[in-house]
Amino acid sequence: MDRNDIKKWFKSPDKMGDKYSLWAIYFCTGCGIIEIPPVITARWDAERFGVIPVATPRQSNLFLITGYVSVKTLRAIIRTYEQMPEPKYTVGFGSCPINGGMYWDSYNTIKHLDKYIPIDGWIAGCMPRPEAIFVAVTHLWTLIDQGKAKAYVKYREKYGLYRKNQEMALGKLDWPPLYTTGGGND
Amino acid sequence: MISALKNDLESIFKDIQISAPEDDRLIINAQKDAVLTILKFFKDKGYDHLAMISCTDWIEEDEFELIYIVGSYSVYAPAAEDITSDKSGVSKEAAFNGGNILLKTRISRKDPRFITAIPVFENSEPYEREIHELFGVDFKGHPRLTPLFLEREYKIPPFRKDFDTRRYVKDFFDQIPFVENKEK
Repeated sequence: MDRNDIKKWFKSPDKMGDKYSLWAIYFCTGCGIIEIPPVITARWDAERFGVIPVATPRQSNLFLITGYVSVKTLRAIIRTYEQMPEPKYTVGFGSCPINGGMYWDSYNTIKHLDKYIPIDGWIAGCMPRPEAIFVAVTHLWTLIDQGKAKAYVKYREKYGLYRKNQEMALGKLDWPPLYTTGGGND
Repeated sequence: MISALKNDLESIFKDIQISAPEDDRLIINAQKDAVLTILKFFKDKGYDHLAMISCTDWIEEDEFELIYIVGSYSVYAPAAEDITSDKSGVSKEAAFNGGNILLKTRISRKDPRFITAIPVFENSEPYEREIHELFGVDFKGHPRLTPLFLEREYKIPPFRKDFDTRRYVKDFFDQIPFVENKEK
């Protein structure tokens, strides 16, 4: 631990705790997941940054969406995201969740992931190198420090709009709404 | 070995074209009525493995082409002495190893119906289900032609050539607004 950070630890221990324990849900979608095993194992060792993969969404607060998202995967992503406890951070990894990437005219791949769930940050590239994950993580630290990584708050506030978009893509959802707030409900 | 197989086939079945572009590959073009009999013939010969069923959309000829790829794990496997005796590697006969049989047949595109191959190869079930979903071919006798991969209903099955993916993306995915834009 950096000694210069001690002041920060006393000032806002919750923020510092969030920063250094980003537990990533081990959710594998698309081809980008192939970058994750070297990142979490000895070659790049993500635990230096406090990032470890965990098995269930209930234990995690970082959601890396690693690659293209088919309509069927979107359903699983939404369910996983809604199960994660707050504060939670999402990072879109690769160009496919950003704007479709090479699947821009695919019949079954959603193009913009941020229409359906809020995203804190993007890692562009096809594929991004494992180092890019650490750049994203350190950037996320900065955002958390400055109080800007508030996508989960946005989700809560605009849940109605998000839910409407999700229903447009997936048809009727077979789980009840998570929140009653948001623009779509009124 | 492959020539023996070719002669066998030509003597039994009429109205088929056989070509062997490589040592270990046999391509058979058959009429659609004969497909199940030919598959059964290969199964009796020891070709116990249906690798996959594939489909091609020949839109200009107004036909679908179904391709059955059959291989063998048992009968034509090289004998142990075949491999050890020849130091330069596996001999040609042994290397054939049953090879791959590509059985092709054409069905009408306007009325895409066919019969299921489940009585012969049980594992054709998911392949036929997939072809039903992505090409809209109806396999008679298949127990459950329910959706396998897709979440949504498509007017035209999406792997057909006349399915306009760009228009579909424009009409469907691009119509979903960004949350930020929606508020304004």
